[in-house]
Amino acid sequence: MDLPNFPDQLPPDETGRFTQRSAAEWVTFIAASLILLGLIGLIFFDWQTNQNRPPAFSVAVSEAVRVTDGRYYVPFAITNTGGRIARMVQVTAELHITGVDDETGEQQIDFLSGHETKAGSFVFTHNPRGGDLMVRVASYRLP
Amino acid sequence: MVESVDDTTPLPSTNIWLTELQAILQGAVGGFLFGIPLLYTVEVWIIGAATGPRWLLTVLATTLVGVGLLTQVEGFRQTLHLHPLEALLESIEAVAIGVVCAALALVLLRRITLDIPLSEILGKVVFETVPFALGVALARSTLQGKQRRDSGTDRVRRTTAPLSRRLASPTLANLRDALVDFDAALIGAVLIAFSIAPTEEVPLLAASLPPLWLLLIMGASLGLSYAIVFASGFTDRAERRQRGLLFSPVTETLVAYLVALVASVVMLVLFQQLNPSDPWSEWLSNTLVLGLPASIGGAAGRILI
Repeated sequence: MDLPNFPDQLPPDETGRFTQRSAAEWVTFIAASLILLGLIGLIFFDWQTNQNRPPAFSVAVSEAVRVTDGRYYVPFAITNTGGRIARMVQVTAELHITGVDDETGEQQIDFLSGHETKAGSFVFTHNPRGGDLMVRVASYRLP
Repeated sequence: MVESVDDTTPLPSTNIWLTELQAILQGAVGGFLFGIPLLYTVEVWIIGAATGPRWLLTVLATTLVGVGLLTQVEGFRQTLHLHPLEALLESIEAVAIGVVCAALALVLLRRITLDIPLSEILGKVVFETVPFALGVALARSTLQGKQRRDSGTDRVRRTTAPLSRRLASPTLANLRDALVDFDAALIGAVLIAFSIAPTEEVPLLAASLPPLWLLLIMGASLGLSYAIVFASGFTDRAERRQRGLLFSPVTETLVAYLVALVASVVMLVLFQQLNPSDPWSEWLSNTLVLGLPASIGGAAGRILI
C-alpha cells in the first residue's frame, strides 16, 4: 500500500510556503477555536447552573428485594439533587424487627456529582418486609 | 485519529489537506504517547471530577500558556520558522487536538458516559487535556528522533549479521528485519505499559467495561498502532520499501498487537495482578485494557528504536 508523502520530503522551494498558513491550516485553526470555545462555554454554563446549589440527597429503596442463599438483598439508588459534588457520602440502613436484634448496613460513596445517581445494595439476614427499614444519608464532605 | 486511518489514499505530495491531516495525526499520536500514563491514573479523574469551573478555566489557560511556550521551539507541524502570531495559532490548535484526544480516550475507557454529569465530564476532560496537549506540542521532536539519527550515512539500528549475507538471501534478511521490528515493539510496549501494569487502574477499568466494549478497545489499540507507524508517515518510506517488507503493514500491526498483548499478560502475571484462580474473563479484560498502552508503546518503539 502506498503511504502519504512525508512533509520533510517536499522540495526545498516549497518550504517558503510555510511562512503563510495554507487554507488547510486555517480550517484546522477554525475547528480548533470552535472546540475550545465550546469547552469554555460548557464550563461557564456549568458554573452558572450548578455551582450555587449545595449537595442534597434523595435515597430510593427498591421494592424488588432479592433473596439468595437465605440473605435479603435490598437495592437502593442515591441521587445528588443539588448542584455541587459531594465526597464520602455515607448511606446507612437500619432494619428494626420486633423481637430480633437490629441489623445495620453502611455504604460509603466516594464521589457524587450534582445530578448523579449511584446504586448499590444492602444485605440483611432477616426479611426487611417483616420489619421497619430506614435508609438515610448520614454525612458527606465537600471536596 | 483512529477514524482518519482510512484516508491514506495516495495523493500528490503538494496536497495541503493531506499534509495538514498528517500534521494533525502526528500531533494526536504525540498526545497519546504523552497522555496515556496520566490517562491510566485514577487520581487525575478524581481531581478532575471534584474541581470547580473557575479552577478548570485556570488550568485550561495555564495549559495554553505552557503549550504556547513549547510551540516557540517545538510543535506538531514540520514548520521550522514561525511568526509569533502563527505560534499562538498553532498552540490553540495543539490544545484543541489535546481536548479531542483526551475526550475520545476518556470515552473509550468509559470514564465519560451518558450517565456522568456535565461538571464531572468537563473536569476530567480539562485535566486529561494537560498531558495530551503537551504531547501534541512535543510531537515533532518526540516522533522524529529516529529520522534525525538516520539522516547521516548509515542506519543506526544494529543488525546481527553481515550486510553481505543480507543481500544474498533477501527472505532471511526480511525475516530478520521483521524480528527487529517486533523486538522494538516489545521494548516500546514494556517501556510504556510497565509503569501501568502494577496499578489498580487496570482491574478498575477492566471491571467497568461491558463485554462488547472490549472489541472497541481492541479496535482502538490496532487503529492507533497503525496510525502511529504507517498512516502518520513517521517512518522513512524509502527505507521501508528498500527492506521489502516481509509483512504487509496490516499484518505487521496485527502481529505487533499480539506482541503487546503477550507482554501485557506477562507483566500482569509478574505483578500478581492475574492469578490462575481468576476467571478467564478477568484475564481477557485486564489484558486488553493494558494492551492499549502497550500497543501504543509498541508502535512508538517500532518507529523510534
